[in-house]
Amino acid sequence: MQSIYHFSYASVGASLLCAATALGTVSAPPFAFLLSSEGVAGGGLASDFGSVVQVAPTEWLYQGSYHGNTGTTLSWIYLVDPDPFITGTFTVTNESDLARDYLLDFSLSISPPLAASLLSGQVSGTLTDSNGSGSALLTSINGGSVYSALADQSVVQALMANAFQQVTAANGTTSFSDGSFGFPVPVSGPAINSTIGIRFAFSLSAGDSVSFSSVFVANPIPAPAAFIVCGFLGLESRKRSRCGSSRANTSLMRR
Amino acid sequence: MGRKRLIQTPMSTLLPRAALLSGLLISGPALGGFSLEGFTASVLSTAGSSTPTNTVTPVSSTTWSATGAWTAGGASVSWTDNTQGWNPVTNSGFTNGNFVVRNQSASAQDFSITIGMTGSAAGPLTISGSVGGQFLNASTALGSLTSTVPLWAALVDGTPARSEFNNTLVFAQPFQIISLGNANFSGVVVPTSAASNISIRLNFRMSAGSEASFSSTVAFQAVPNPGAVALIALAGAFGRRRRRR
Repeated sequence: MQSIYHFSYASVGASLLCAATALGTVSAPPFAFLLSSEGVAGGGLASDFGSVVQVAPTEWLYQGSYHGNTGTTLSWIYLVDPDPFITGTFTVTNESDLARDYLLDFSLSISPPLAASLLSGQVSGTLTDSNGSGSALLTSINGGSVYSALADQSVVQALMANAFQQVTAANGTTSFSDGSFGFPVPVSGPAINSTIGIRFAFSLSAGDSVSFSSVFVANPIPAPAAFIVCGFLGLESRKRSRCGSSRANTSLMRR
Repeated sequence: MGRKRLIQTPMSTLLPRAALLSGLLISGPALGGFSLEGFTASVLSTAGSSTPTNTVTPVSSTTWSATGAWTAGGASVSWTDNTQGWNPVTNSGFTNGNFVVRNQSASAQDFSITIGMTGSAAGPLTISGSVGGQFLNASTALGSLTSTVPLWAALVDGTPARSEFNNTLVFAQPFQIISLGNANFSGVVVPTSAASNISIRLNFRMSAGSEASFSSTVAFQAVPNPGAVALIALAGAFGRRRRRR
């Protein structure tokens, strides 16, 4: 009986350690956005501009909207996990009379840090002639990438370089899916200490809107130390289990 | 003098006059129009039922912006929609929006979402519009988006005037995004009047842990009645005759 307890404690301990290593936190991780356009920046914690709901033990759903000073409306729905991943959709509508350049960062605090990572990501979207002018245009800024995956604020992967998407029909739309990385096999990434994020940089024509669905996953590569600790606990529980069994056998023999 | 001036009047000056006359004729009350009286949003889902929240903000005298959300049983729908009631200058109106539907429940769910505006417009009308979207599987299992009826439809008084994405069947690997593509159309004639509403409807089933987003527009315009067309033709012929003189 004692061996069962020992085994249970060891299992729970190992599980908790492994879980703590993998999950690290049980509260909503800080998820922030920063929208810059025409030299005006705004944003903050996404939870201050909408709602956050825990939908799974380590997953939170952020929904919200933001109205920028430059005639821009931004709305989002993002599922995040500090394990970590960021996935969701946002829409930007340029309600001004001029084409605008936008720089939009989504950033998620992760816990615990990743000693090494495996990365995957993707972006897809829809451009809409929202004002019925007969055209809509989405381009990269100076030929750069529209989507950039960030690790600790540094670009680790990028998609949609030299993007040029247009709508030529009044009230029309065009959908685009412009590449991915790490599918089906994740690519190796750097150590990540504090945040992962996705940066969007694009120019959008006046009166039109664009929606982006995006994914960025940074799977942790289990650290050797975690393996060692889990292995040690496993051996310890096995040893105690054996001791317990031999004691039990001995007592039975005595009887 | 007056005749001479007419003869010397360049064509570029005459054409706008004819166009202005035409525009005045088309926008006459006999041709009808759309009066914005409200905004409608409904969500039916197997995930559960609740009343959507919808905040409507005037952007101009004829244009409105609506932001809304619906949540029940672990599923959610959110939208931002811009609507323009009848514009007497362009003789048109539109509703366009972006929708995001998320199924965080443990099983596949059905969704039927209707967003639009209430009011009336005297027919016949022509309708143009478009829809595009993405399907995102944020679960660790294979995700699917299906629809055995048209996934998207433009409705006039609840009756489909145009439908797109018929018999949709899309699969996505974990954390994969599938583009649903896009559909554009124009010049669809609705012979009848819109008595109560013009709206967009989405119908589909979506697997657990998935998200679908759609961008959609529906614009409607009055069809000039035969009398107006005859007057336009008459104005054109009159202008031509004057130029010849």
